[in-house]
This record gives sequence, C-alpha cells and structure tokens, in this order.
Amino acid sequence: MKHKHFYAHLIETTDVVLELGELDLTPEERIHLLSLVEANIHSSVINTVLSALDEENKKIFLKNLMLSDHTKTLEHLKQNSKDIEDKIQKTISIIKKELLEDLKKAKKIKK
Amino acid sequence: MPKGKKKNLTYEHLKTVWTKRHKELEKEIFEKHKDSFEWLSQNSKQFAVGSLAGLFLLTSPIIPKIPTAFSSASAEINKIIDKKIFLVYDLKNILPSEVRPLTQEEEANVSEVLTRTYGFRVTPELEGKRLNTSYGLIGQEQHLKRYPGDNMLTHFDNPEDAEKYFKYGMAPGLGAWRYFAYSKAEITQEDIDREKYYIAVQTFLAPGFNENVREYVNFFKYRKMLVVNPQNGKAMVVVVGDAGPAKWTGKSLGGSPEVMTYLERYDGRQRGPVLYFFIDDPDDKIPLGPVSM
Repeated sequence: MKHKHFYAHLIETTDVVLELGELDLTPEERIHLLSLVEANIHSSVINTVLSALDEENKKIFLKNLMLSDHTKTLEHLKQNSKDIEDKIQKTISIIKKELLEDLKKAKKIKK
Repeated sequence: MPKGKKKNLTYEHLKTVWTKRHKELEKEIFEKHKDSFEWLSQNSKQFAVGSLAGLFLLTSPIIPKIPTAFSSASAEINKIIDKKIFLVYDLKNILPSEVRPLTQEEEANVSEVLTRTYGFRVTPELEGKRLNTSYGLIGQEQHLKRYPGDNMLTHFDNPEDAEKYFKYGMAPGLGAWRYFAYSKAEITQEDIDREKYYIAVQTFLAPGFNENVREYVNFFKYRKMLVVNPQNGKAMVVVVGDAGPAKWTGKSLGGSPEVMTYLERYDGRQRGPVLYFFIDDPDDKIPLGPVSM
C-alpha cells in the first residue's frame, strides 16, 4: 500500500493504521479500508493545493501530477504558493482527525 | 457466525462513511476546479482516458478491486466513469512504475482485472506454458506476406486501409509460421484477420522452449492473446503470428501496423509497454480485433 506522492514526506498515518489493526477484519477488508484512508487524504490534499493556486498554475500542477513527477510537482508548488507545505500538513491533520473519529465510532459497533 | 457478522458490520460502516466522504470530496474538487481538469483533458493526448473523472482517478491512490467505492457517486460523475477508466485505474495500481516482468502476484491481479473486464478468461499461463514476460515494450512490425505472391499492391482490402497502413511496408521474409494460406484463392477471412491482428513474441525465450521445441512451436502458432495498452485501456484480441524481436533490441514483442495503430503505441523513443496474456478460448469463439467492454 505504499504509494509515493509529492506530499509523502508530510504524511504520517501510523495512528490510523494501528487503529485499523485493532479491528477484526479480513486482509481484503483491511486493504480496502487503508486505500480509502489514502484516497480521502489524497483528495483532501488535491483540493487544498488546487484552491491555493491561480488558474495557470493549477494547469501546471495537474500536468505534473499526471506525469507522477513528484519532485517537479513539489518544486512548482513551493515556488507558486506560499506556505503550501504547511497548508498540506494542516489538511492532512484535519482529515486524519476525522478518520480517527470514524474509527472510534466503528469500534463501538462491535459492542 | 456472530463473530463474522460483527466483523462485517464494522467494515461495512467504515466503508460507507469513508466512501461517502471521498465522493463528496471528489465532487467538490470537480465543481471548484472543473475548468482546469477540462483544460488537461483537452491538452494531454497521452492521458487519453476519455473523461475528466478519468483524469482525476488517475491521480488518485489505489482502491483495489472494489469498484463499488464509486458505484453510487452522483449521477453526473457516475455517467462519465466508464469501464475503460476503471480498467486504466485498476491496472495503474497493479503495475510497477518500471517495465519489467511481473511477479506472480501481479500477474494474478492483472488476470483478475482483465478477466472481469472482458468476460473471458485471460491468463499468463496456459497448458503449463508461459512467455518470458507478460508485460513489456512493444515495437512496430511490418505487414506479413499471407500467400505466395502477396505484396503491397495486393495486400489491402480497401483504399482506406491502404492509405492508413501502406507506409509500414512488408517484411522481406516470411513470418515464423510461413504463409498464412497456400495461395490467394485459398485465403480465408481467418487468415486475413490473423495477419492483420498479429503480434510477434519471444517464443524462443519461453521457459522450456529449448527442451520441447516442436511442442512449444505448435502451442504458440496462432495462439490467441489479449494485448492491452494499460495507459489508455485499449485492448485487442490478436494471435501470435511471428517470433521476435531479438533480445538485444530491448523490446519484448512487436505489433502489426493495425495492432500498433489501434493501441496507440509507437516505436522508437516514444515506445511504451503493453500487457499480453493468453486467452483461454478452447472453442475458438472470441473474434480477433479490437475488444469492446
């Protein structure tokens, strides 16, 4: 489940993975939920980044993203959006908090 | 039994909540930045997946084997996420970033995706035989002589095909299986299709080939395969019509002009990879040519 993204250095999901590890899930279910965690984080980050760019730079960003050129993507973002790494980190932190809340609620279903 | 049920409830709950959130995020992104995705769709030929949603999916992380994650998306998004996009998306998440022989697990995952997508069994190994790889760079081949006397002036059925494919020329020698028919009078539609939709694969590098040459040659001769461009989801049912290319070329297989054109694959510096798997079609019911989903 390791996928390198341009924001890979800003992401830490150990807590979510550990919480998921405590649930009684089949390997397929666990992998699927982990991929949903990743997809939710990814979409949140993309939303944040696009919202922080002007129209021209949005296009450049999307093109870099499609080419999976992570170094170029990050460099371009740093040059064209102030404090973008802080913004991404904040976004990840918010979505992770929501996911952990969901996990808490899910655990209660077992009882 | 109760344990199993509880486990499923937890999973179902999280799946529902997280899928819903993901869909809402996608919708928000589309609504807020639609112009940018539209621009990308119009200006990036190499990402020919046919829709804005497809472009977005290609940038997303894996959601393996569970396409229902998107099944109840808003009507608008659902409408534009077609099977081809799921195929590209699924394959992107299985295939390595570099072009190399797939591991057994990767091959099994690809088989599952292709079999599910096309509705017939697709496999890297058939009757205990496999090729040296099922994922490799494809090069351009030329037309093959179908019968004695076949040449560039007799080769095409219609002016449209001649205009499209004349430039690729005809291979000076015969294919690995010699002529497709003994004479012009005896050529059948099957022979014509076999030449049109052929690939050349490295039969001579197949594990076990040197120990049982005759058996392997018989197995590979006109063996039906599915060849897929994983980057645009275009697929074609083809036959093994020739042996090659040589190992030193760095290419793993070659495609006829018709195959390469349909898959949108090019030789030279722009060359790219394809997947090529055997089709299990004992009754010979699956027709050659482009595959629809």
